[in-house]
Amino acid sequence: MAHHFCFNKSEHWVKKYELIEHTADLGIRVKGRDLKGLFQNVASSLFEIIARREEKKPCKKKEIKIKQSAQTREELLVNWLNELISLSATKNLIFCDFKIGRMDDSSLEAVVLGEPAQGYRLKTEVKAATYHELKLMQSKSGWQAEVIFDV
Amino acid sequence: MSDLWQGVLEKIDDYRWRIPKNYKAGMRVPGIIYADEKLLKDIRHDKAAEQVANVAFLPGIVRASLAMPDIHWGYGFPIGGVAATDADNGGVVSPGGVGYDINCGVRLLKTNFQFEEIKDKIKDLTYVLFSDIPAGLGSTGAIKVSAKEEKEILIQGAGWAVKRGYGTTDDLECTEERGAIAGADPSAVSDRAYDRGKAQSGTLGSGNHFLEVQMIDQLYDRDACDAFGLSEGQITLMIHSGSRGLGYQICDDYVKNMVHCLSKYQINVPDRQLACAPLDSEEGKSYLRAMKCAANYAWANRQCLMHLARLAFERFFKRSWQDMGMSLIYDVAHNIAKIEKYNIDGKEKTLCVHRKGATRAFGPGNPALPERYKKTGQPVIIPGDMGRNSYLLVGTKKAEEETFGSTCHGAGRLKSRAEATRTINFTELLKELEAKGITVKGSGRGTIVEEAPQAYKDVNDVVKVVHDAGISKRVCRMRPLGVIKG
Repeated sequence: MAHHFCFNKSEHWVKKYELIEHTADLGIRVKGRDLKGLFQNVASSLFEIIARREEKKPCKKKEIKIKQSAQTREELLVNWLNELISLSATKNLIFCDFKIGRMDDSSLEAVVLGEPAQGYRLKTEVKAATYHELKLMQSKSGWQAEVIFDV
Repeated sequence: MSDLWQGVLEKIDDYRWRIPKNYKAGMRVPGIIYADEKLLKDIRHDKAAEQVANVAFLPGIVRASLAMPDIHWGYGFPIGGVAATDADNGGVVSPGGVGYDINCGVRLLKTNFQFEEIKDKIKDLTYVLFSDIPAGLGSTGAIKVSAKEEKEILIQGAGWAVKRGYGTTDDLECTEERGAIAGADPSAVSDRAYDRGKAQSGTLGSGNHFLEVQMIDQLYDRDACDAFGLSEGQITLMIHSGSRGLGYQICDDYVKNMVHCLSKYQINVPDRQLACAPLDSEEGKSYLRAMKCAANYAWANRQCLMHLARLAFERFFKRSWQDMGMSLIYDVAHNIAKIEKYNIDGKEKTLCVHRKGATRAFGPGNPALPERYKKTGQPVIIPGDMGRNSYLLVGTKKAEEETFGSTCHGAGRLKSRAEATRTINFTELLKELEAKGITVKGSGRGTIVEEAPQAYKDVNDVVKVVHDAGISKRVCRMRPLGVIKG
């Protein structure tokens, strides 16, 4: 199992996501302290897979408001990720900051920040998040999700 | 994948294996996998066979949930899966049975060059093709279209490109559905899907998409080769691409919608990615109308890519493409749902045939074929990996009788992308390929490693099964010389 690491704000290495083996596509396992944190972490892991920042200088970020609704938590997670994938492609942005405001089991409102894709090296074309073997679980320490993306 | 699939596989003959209907409660038909003992070992290494059983839950499925020998684990449907559903018997259409890259497909062109004539120029030619054809992540097209034209593309498909001067009517005759499937309705496509498709016309894309300069290295059926005008040593060109962002968004839009159809129409499937709706429901009809738009967009895209490749050849050799004999042999879709007629137990039935990583393989005399291929059967193009081979086959009557006129679509993945990245060294790989006389140009190292030959099954094994099972016949084999990866 490959582990991917990144710096958190206090400059400590933290584990962000694990890759799940899948023959044709790409699966990840992600944790979060609460549901909001989980959704944010899955989103930032997704964009780590899509692109790596190469531009050293700070660039102007674009703010986008997102509203999603669904019948279940799992569906809400898939809709959230697919909305981000789709907006990233149409607006040519790589999202780097995710703030989820109001959220319950069937809806969420978020503000996401994106930077122009030109400042990034694109690594993987992610077509969509799928429902295949989708898992969203609560444990003692928080929440965990497993998502398979079509790449 | 470490855990072997432990499900039941009953041997029917050397090339056919059955997952019995009672393997899982809810299966409406058995599963049938086309494979030999060797390929079966690979198939047991992931969850593809379980997915074959899952597809057998679809309402209205006819005869069996089929899988070709290049089958591997996908999402919902296995890649290499074929399922036909009957509208008169509650049959459904499932966007997951087509996939996100709607009408991903492949086309093969011939040239009148022999390998000996241009062997010293392959490297430079590959570089010219790489510079002239937009490829890779986030690439935008060399061919710009207006919003009005984009709607025309969705209806006219490859015909739109030909009208613009990017090819000839002869090209259309040599394209499945003449490059435009009837019934496409742009109003079934969301604004977001338009946006996502915009600016990508005439781009190759990334992942497993490619353009390859090849040479024919083995003939199997001399009569068919004569009919196609092919001989040993001849240079061919293969293009593999799909509907880009437009198709992804259409699939996403309709999966989102059809997840709710499962409860609305009381459909029981073991995987929500098999979300579907009855063929005669508004949701089902609307999906097919939108899917056809993406299919037509993909045919227009491959026509544009071929045009750009012809121009690159003209620039490099300073001769016209006609003079270089660059005519299209055929273009096939391998991610699509088609409404086709079959004889089922003595009755003609109109079925929705889902081909998810499978190729149409109509036999001689089929009315859907152009006059020039009525005698040979439909050309079937099977791309392999970048280090081994690709094939030209023809469809058979047996395929029409057994597999709803379908055969395999490629080599089939063996290793995950992550495993390929972990175990394959980029520099070593390029050296190995160069030693075989193969030049590779790609926009990213990552994609090249992920697509390394070791990550795939041997296409020779896959094609042997479909040939010996009689669901298509080998015509000739190609080997790669110059490869452009997205």
